[in-house]
This record gives sequence, C-alpha cells and structure tokens, in this order.
Amino acid sequence: METAELKQQLKKQIIEFLNLISVKPEDIKDDEPLFGEGLGLDSIDSIELIVLLGREYGITIQDPKEGRKILVDINTMVSYIEQHRTK
Amino acid sequence: MPMFYIHQTSCISPQQTFDSVDISVLHQPVEHKLKVIEPVATGIPMGTLRRMSKAVRMGVMAALPLLQDGTEPAGIIIGTANAGMEDCFYFLKQMVDYNEGLLTPGNFVQSTPNALASQLSMLKQNHGYNITHVHLGLAFENAMTDAGMMIKENPRNNYLLGAVDDIPSYNYILNSLAGWFKKEPFALEDLYTLQTPGSIAGEGTAMFLVNGNPEDAIAQLRAVETIHTEEEEAVKQRLKYFLEKNLINGEEIDVLITGENGDSRLLHYYLACEEMMPHTTGIARFKHMCGEYPTATAMALWLGCYILQKNPVPSHIIKKSFSKKNCKTILIYNNYKGGQHSFILLSVPGCF
Amino acid sequence: MGLITAIGDSAAKNRMALSLGKCGISTLELFPSKYANSLPCGEIKIGTQILAQKLNATEPGITRTTLLALHAFEEAILDSKLTVEQLSSFDTALIGASTVGGMCLTDELYMDAQKTENGSEYINSYDCSSVTMYLQQRYKMAGTISTINTACSSSANAIMYGARLIKNGLAKRAIVGGADSLAKFTINGFNALHILSGERCTPFDERRKGLNLGEGAAFIVLEREEDIDNKKVYAELTGYFNSNDAFHPSSLSDEGFGPYLSMKGALDSAKLTPADIGFINAHGTGTENNDLVESRAMLQLFTTPPPFASTKSNIGHTLGAAGAIEAVYSLLNLHYQELYPGLNFSQPIAETGLMPVDLYTKTTLQHVMSNSFGFGGNCTSLIFSKS
Repeated sequence: METAELKQQLKKQIIEFLNLISVKPEDIKDDEPLFGEGLGLDSIDSIELIVLLGREYGITIQDPKEGRKILVDINTMVSYIEQHRTK
Repeated sequence: MPMFYIHQTSCISPQQTFDSVDISVLHQPVEHKLKVIEPVATGIPMGTLRRMSKAVRMGVMAALPLLQDGTEPAGIIIGTANAGMEDCFYFLKQMVDYNEGLLTPGNFVQSTPNALASQLSMLKQNHGYNITHVHLGLAFENAMTDAGMMIKENPRNNYLLGAVDDIPSYNYILNSLAGWFKKEPFALEDLYTLQTPGSIAGEGTAMFLVNGNPEDAIAQLRAVETIHTEEEEAVKQRLKYFLEKNLINGEEIDVLITGENGDSRLLHYYLACEEMMPHTTGIARFKHMCGEYPTATAMALWLGCYILQKNPVPSHIIKKSFSKKNCKTILIYNNYKGGQHSFILLSVPGCF
Repeated sequence: MGLITAIGDSAAKNRMALSLGKCGISTLELFPSKYANSLPCGEIKIGTQILAQKLNATEPGITRTTLLALHAFEEAILDSKLTVEQLSSFDTALIGASTVGGMCLTDELYMDAQKTENGSEYINSYDCSSVTMYLQQRYKMAGTISTINTACSSSANAIMYGARLIKNGLAKRAIVGGADSLAKFTINGFNALHILSGERCTPFDERRKGLNLGEGAAFIVLEREEDIDNKKVYAELTGYFNSNDAFHPSSLSDEGFGPYLSMKGALDSAKLTPADIGFINAHGTGTENNDLVESRAMLQLFTTPPPFASTKSNIGHTLGAAGAIEAVYSLLNLHYQELYPGLNFSQPIAETGLMPVDLYTKTTLQHVMSNSFGFGGNCTSLIFSKS
C-alpha cells in the first residue's frame, strides 16, 4: 500500500475508532499532534489507538509509554506501521 | 418545613417536554418502546460528547439549561439504574468477541453509573458534592432525600437534582425475559385497559434546580417516603401514616399522580391508593407518556410541577378529573416491579 | 462491624492477618479467565457454593457479590446485637454499595442478553442494587434503603449517606457498607487501562506497577450517640466529605485538587486540624497516577503527613467494597490503638519522598482518616475518632 493511501486509511480508522464526531479525514493534518492540542486526545485514547494498531495491523505494543513515542502524529504512526505491520 | 423548593425543571422524554413544551399530542412508541425525543446535542465539547452514551448525553442535555447564567450548584445528585449499562454491554461484547484479548478501555470507563454526575462536574468544573444513587426503582427517591438533607444542612446552596434511565437493547431483552414488558402488540391508548401482565418499555430524564428559598419557586417538595414490600396492606398503612404525618389538618390532595403502567399484576396497588383518597381528589397517569423505567418518578415530578404551574393539562393524563385552577397539592404514588413503592408530596410554594 | 476479604472471613481474622503483615493476593483459582495466572488478585478462597451453604442462602439467583455482602452483614448484626425487630423497624436504614453487583456473572449475563425466552435464574440479579435488595428481603427491612455506585468510592459514600440520614433524623440507626466480587468484567476493564500489576502491588513505591483487584465486603452499624447505652462502640464517625476532581473520567488531576478538597472538607466537618490526624488509611491503589497525586495532596494539606499506609497491599482493590473495608480497618486501628504495616514497599516516590508505615506499631491514636477515590473524579474522605 502506498504511504498516502495508508495515511488516508489510518485517518478513517482513527475517526471511527475514537468516534470523532464531525471530524473528516482531511481535517487531520499529517504533522499535527494527536494529543494535547490538535485533536485533543487523552490517555484513554492513546490506549485505544494501541488497540487499533493491534487489531488492524497486528502490531503489539506492551508498554503504553512506548506507545506515546509512536502516537505523536499521523506521520510517526504511519512510518511505524510500515515497518512493523504483520497484517 | 419542606425538603426543598424547585426553581427550574427540565425534561427529555418520549413526548415534547424539552424546549417548547407541548404534551397535548401523544407521541407513539417505536418497536414497542417509548424512546425519548433526543435534542441535537449542543454546548458539549466534541472531545467529551464522543464518549457519551445515550443516557449520559440526554442527562447532560437536560441539565445544561439549568446551569446557565453562571448557576453553580453546590452539588450534583443523580438517581439512575441503567446509566452506564450501554457501555457495560459494549465492553462485555468486546470481551467475548476478542476472547479477553486486546480491549479498548473507553466503554469500561464510561460503564459506571456515575458517568453522568461526573461528566457534568467535568463540564462545569464543579468540585462539589457528587453522588449517584442506583437503587433501582427508588434511585431517584433517594436522590431527593439526599438533596433534602443537603439543603437542610446548607439552605443557601443550589443543587442539581435529577434522574436518567434509557433502554439499552440488552436491558430491554433482560427485562422482557423477566416478563416486565407486554409481548403482544398493542396501541398506546389501550395500555391501561388490556389487563395483561407487563408494561411498555420507556426512558427519560428530568432535572431540577433546587434550594431552600421559597421566593419565585415553582413548587415545594414537602416529603418523600419509600417502602420495600409486596403486601398491599403494608403499602396502604404506609400511605396512611405518610398522609397523617405530612398533611395539615383538613388539607386534601388535589391530584394523585399514579405510576399505573398497564401491568395487570400491579394494578391493585394503584387502586388501593386511589381508594384511600377523598372523592374530591383527581387522578392522573403518566406512564403512557414515558413508559416504564426505574426512575420514572422524576418524570412524574416534572409533570407535577407542570400542573402546579397552571399549564394546560392534556386529557390523556386524566383518569379522574380535577379542578385545574385550584390545584395546590399533588401526591405521586409509584411502584417499581411491585416491590419498591414511593410517595412524593409536592405543593405550590408558600401555601403551607 | 463485619467483613470478609482475601485475608480473613471476620473482623478478628482480618486484624490478625493485618498485624502479621499477611498478603492475600494470589493466583486466581475460583473462576476461569485468560488472566488467571498472569494477574494476581485478592481472591477469597471460598467457593460460591460453599458460601451459599454456609450462609443458608441457596435460593436461586443469588450471586457471589450478594453472598459476600450477606457474610459481612451477618457478622455486623451479630456483633452489634441488633434484634430482628430493630432490623425490620422503620427507623433502621440500609445503605449498600457495589460496582460489579450481579455482573460478577459476566458469562451468564452475556448469554441471557442474547436470548428471546427462558432467561437464567439470575435474570433479576445483574443489577448493582440486587445485593442490597436481597439483604432487605431477607431481613424484611423497612427503613430507608439505598444503593450507591460512585465507582471505587461507593461504600465510603454509603457510610456518609447513612450518617447523614441519622444526623437529619431520618433514621435511628444505619447499616452501611458495600460488596464487590472479582469478575472478568473488572479484570478485563482495568487490564485494558493498563493499570493492573502482574506482581503484588506496591503502594507508594517509586517502582509501582499498578493495582491488584480484590474482592470482599464490609458492613458497619452506625447508631446515634444517645442510643449507645452499654453497647460496644468501636469509634465515632466525626468527619466526612465528598468532592469531585472534575478532571478526567479515569485519572486524577496532577495537583490532586479533588483528594485535597475531600481531605480538607472532612477535617472541617470534624472541626479538626491536620495535626489532629494520627493515621491515614490511604486510597493507595499502587497505580502511577493515584499514589503520586494522593501523596501530593497529602503534602499540600498536611505539609508533614501523619503515618499512612494502604491496606490494598494486603487485599487488593476491592472497588465498591473498598471504602467500607478500609473504614473497618480504621476502626480496628482506633479500637486496638495499633498500626498495621503496608506491604511490598521499598523505595519512596522520588518527587514526594513519602514512606508508608511498614511495621506493626502500637501507638496512641485519636483520629484516623480513610480516603477513597473513584472513577469520574469522585473523592471521599472519612474521619473516625476514638470515642
């Protein structure tokens, strides 16, 4: 899958998974921080996103702190998915 | 001295009770359920709204109009039996679907019944007393008792008092299995005449801004009494005691609002209480408006306030007519599943 | 008072176990879960059937949570010598608390929810009020009855509500407490939040890894001062306060505003100053967030906090029962004038440097504070005083 295509797919998955009402994929910028500002996600969301990576891409992250390094923005998530996906 | 004075009310129900109230026309059930007319959720930040279950969302929407203009209640006191149930089952389903594997915690966190009270405290940055009574059919009655004590202890404070319950599908299944809803299809107009077991599933939320100040109040909540029993005689005795204790010499109840719900097994309790009223007392019913759910008495209290405010009383609620002009005192009697009974006495402010 | 936990099925046995620093946290044995071997819990090693027989409560539809509650309730009424008439009198209140309630039967519930007919015997038992309802029916109780669910502070709030009913003249006595049993539901829920420890929990330790769940029940009989006569009295409930942190659904704010307010409010309601408190039974779950925030709040209020410890290192986090169980532990502290060691502690949290009591100590105690904080920012502090 092309990186651009993967990004688009991931954005859709994030919106659906976190029930981000009224957010469209194009509203999420690739380099916009997911937590704090930007989408304003919190600690529960970070765990939910780890579950998303597990269910959709077969990526296992044991330590939520490790997850924080991956879940910075769409770019960091996509590059991690490309390197570690098992499905 | 009354328990508290009600200053503002708000209600989201299967009828047009929110925004511009119009209860003259009955809204009908959908798929055997009386579902609330849910207003468009406004005034709730997206980050918060996206995690709210239906029960929490409608509770917050009903509460927000009472918390405008800088009104900061000293506490949030909620009665609910089912709030959180919807998330509870989503999480349960995840557990089964993924065989206790990788699960998302969002539903789990929101599955606790105090989600509504805590979401309200977060939205309004309210650090005050925050409590959730969950004692099924008497959850709201305990919330009222709690609010009454809070106001006795701190008469100057405002409190947000309310109740919410919805019908998550799983909950509907469980209650249907237990025989609490009629199985056969029927028209809402026939609810009280079918004489078969079971009622109709319903849901709703009502919120009240209450304090110890009679000025400009809508109503005074004079007393609440509850009893757990299945014996009709015990209910009658408790009602007798309740009236003797709380009515002033010669005072009569103008309207009795009963929770009659079409369940033939429970009708005798309601008839017994009706028989104890003097012949001048009118009788009103409300479960055809909101269906049966554990905290339906909050809807009855809203309706009581509505009647005391001299609003137009629709004929569909009247079982025995009463003088709308001189209506000063209302008694609400309800029972939930035959074992939990409550009496609620309210009057226009300042008359006693 | 009466209680049952992973370290004993009576107040006396709990006191003995606490004194000896016994830990009841172990591998799950009594029900199947994927995590039975990897996530230790404070499990009471008495099977549900055996409990039901012992308590003569073998009617259909009774859940483990109800049986634990009944066990503690019966000990409490025996201990307080309440008569059958007093139990069923209009002025005896019963305030219970539970978060799991009948949901301990996770699988049965899921099955029932898929059916169209023939529900199981538990069809009316899943609700968290079913526990209180059973006690009400068994003892024909006719006073004010409520069930409170504010997550992990539930039974502390039940105690507070019961006390206020008495204070306001709505009851002469109140039997207050809570119960929760271990359930797949809560194990998976807390595990999904990544706050369960794979080892025994280490409250207030720098290297703490999370909490262990536990199960149990406790009930306390509260009576008015004027009705005491020659009855056995463990202590007086002198202060209580509930406040909301108003920050996040599942974690406390960094500065611990809610915990600070609840402790401060309880002191004010008891008309005491911070220096009066001789011991704090801390909420101390062993999670990164709770222990740090609770420590900060204690430092802010007390400057030099009094001795404190978390009995969750003995029995795990018993959720809706925790507030009542820890209230009973506070009563034991006061009645026997002794402190019990917090377990598994080795290194203080770097930022706060606070160290829980880690040795059994005979001491002079006048006032003990007990903290309970729950999801949704619900914070309650109780103060018990030597009578």
